[in-house]
Amino acid sequence: MAPPGATPSRILGEGSTLGRLTRGSWIEFGIFLLIVAVFYGFSFEFNQTIEIYIFGATAWPRVVIALLLIATLGNLWFQYKNGAASQGTMGQSNDEPVDLSEPGTLPRMVAVLLTPFIFAYLLKPVGIYFSAPFFIAAIIWLFGEHRWKPIVIMTCVIYVIFIGLFLVILNAPLPQGNTSPFYDFSAWILTMNAKLQGL
Amino acid sequence: MIENFLAGSAALFGDPTTIAIFVFGVIGGMLFGAIPGVSMLTLAAILLPFSAALEPAQGVMLFAVIYCTGTYGGAITAILFNIPGSPENAPTSFDGYPMTQNGQSGKAVGAAVLCSAIGGIASALVMMAATEPLAQWAIKNIGPPEIFALVFFGLIVAASVGARTIWKGWMSVLIGLLIATIGQDPVGGINRYNFGMPDLAAGIAFVPAILGFFAVSEIFVQAEKKASGKYKAPKVSMTFPSFLELWMHKLAVLRSILVGFFCGILPGIGATLAAFMSYGEAVRWSKNKEEFGKGKLEGVISAETANNAATGAAMIPLLALGLPGGALTAMMVAVFQMHDLQPGPLVFMLSPDLIWIVFAAMFYANLSILIIGVVETKTILNLLKIPFQFLAPLILMLATVGAYISRGLVLDVMVMFLAGIMGYLLRRSGFSIPGIVLGLILGKIGEQNFAQGMQMVHYDIGEYFSRPICTILIIAGVITLISSIYRAFATSNKPV
Repeated sequence: MAPPGATPSRILGEGSTLGRLTRGSWIEFGIFLLIVAVFYGFSFEFNQTIEIYIFGATAWPRVVIALLLIATLGNLWFQYKNGAASQGTMGQSNDEPVDLSEPGTLPRMVAVLLTPFIFAYLLKPVGIYFSAPFFIAAIIWLFGEHRWKPIVIMTCVIYVIFIGLFLVILNAPLPQGNTSPFYDFSAWILTMNAKLQGL
Repeated sequence: MIENFLAGSAALFGDPTTIAIFVFGVIGGMLFGAIPGVSMLTLAAILLPFSAALEPAQGVMLFAVIYCTGTYGGAITAILFNIPGSPENAPTSFDGYPMTQNGQSGKAVGAAVLCSAIGGIASALVMMAATEPLAQWAIKNIGPPEIFALVFFGLIVAASVGARTIWKGWMSVLIGLLIATIGQDPVGGINRYNFGMPDLAAGIAFVPAILGFFAVSEIFVQAEKKASGKYKAPKVSMTFPSFLELWMHKLAVLRSILVGFFCGILPGIGATLAAFMSYGEAVRWSKNKEEFGKGKLEGVISAETANNAATGAAMIPLLALGLPGGALTAMMVAVFQMHDLQPGPLVFMLSPDLIWIVFAAMFYANLSILIIGVVETKTILNLLKIPFQFLAPLILMLATVGAYISRGLVLDVMVMFLAGIMGYLLRRSGFSIPGIVLGLILGKIGEQNFAQGMQMVHYDIGEYFSRPICTILIIAGVITLISSIYRAFATSNKPV
């Protein structure tokens, strides 16, 4: 009897099925198995005894790893029996899975996921004061606003709020970058702020 | 007690500088709690160096006030944006955000305002009356085995919250526990899983992780909806709950105050576990369990009453034993130390004035949630009218600063965005983000107290059962675990 919402899929080639497991179930299983293997493998790097504690530094992580392996296998078994069915736990998220197969949706999502990461990577060499406006504009564009006037206006508004709150009011130490000319730009902003505070 | 409270109030309101600091703390805590992407911890981290210039009582009072109002403020973002301001507000979003989606944001926020104030005031009163006797009791009866037992129970409750299946709930908590093992081990200080990065020796800081798992992943979820054309702007509503609606939940409020206070009093546990356990109890006692998670007012009431009830209780281990119950109370220890003071039993004898100014300030801060909270909430609700394409970069910028500021490491910003991507992918697959975060927060505390407990009982696990509180918590945990295992297998054969 197929549970509602469960979609059996062929995973072992044409004509063969394995319960209600989908390709997604196997990917999920593979990723968690990889996490278990990597963390277990690396636990040998700190497999040292602690004089005051007989279980040592590895006992706790290895117990967690073992439990995670059991839960991963249990999850695979549950999906084998029931596919993507839900068990109705407390406070379950209402997130509805969105179809990413629409043209343009997947590349845009990849860009949305990568842009903040690139921004974070650039914080050390470029600094936040120079990179922030580009990052803000990129996010506005990726969120579907393609008219240049609103992009420019809102980028300026958000940048001013950000500078006003964290630099002028709170004087928070933020990454300034370590390469020229970005570092010089950050230094100029900080000098302007110092002059403003002196007024 | 009344004379001390009046003396504390007079000292608080008798000096214009102290009043200004109090007002700044109240408004700052509420605002930073209620702005998505930053939290009370961001404000506290920024203010920490400046607190050295304040009087000791002013410095500690400022952080205590931020703690009270920030805990309430975090509920606003949890309800309106599904972005809890701090981990203790995570269960608020379970029902608060669905209420916003159903056009009942005003009702949810109104309940949060009132219940945060009630929980906080009740807690402040008990704190004033009972800190010293409770501290004496806690010193005698609460040790590492009890704390470990509570962590064990809390993690088992967390595993049944928020995931699509019980198996995924456990996997979520275990992933959180695994992330918590990164950094130095809490007993011998041996580096674990630093993957060649020296900055990881200090472990994964939970502020960036929380911002990533909650705030950034929510931005990604909304981006996905925008990209696929399924984005629906949340409906703004200014209708607050009626007195009758709130009166109907009086038992939930009372229960949550008790749960919140009990969890808050235990060192190292804090308000997060209080909110989760109170939400779990609300579900357990309800006749309509299936309505939770779909926009039930009782869910918001239970979580918000408990987390604010824990704020006053968290002062007890901090002031009586010198043990912080969370990140913000840990910063308060730093404020004490900056002024050459050490929180602990002696502080009641050496600095009674300081203690009573802090107690009075916390009482008035919780009272001001009622007055300022309603006005502030109506303003904050207007944030929902800003198109999300303009709100998203603002939230991401604030989150970037929030992640960076506490340790000054770019690595923390990268951790935040990585946690955001992980959170987004895990949410799509039905895992529980609150479960991961609770595992991350309780992991180190659990390991440390397990190790200390085992050393205390000379590795004889049977000794744990000679301690009544420990026995009750372990039995409660085991019963919950067995029922959870039964459900995991029973519903495998008969899916819902």
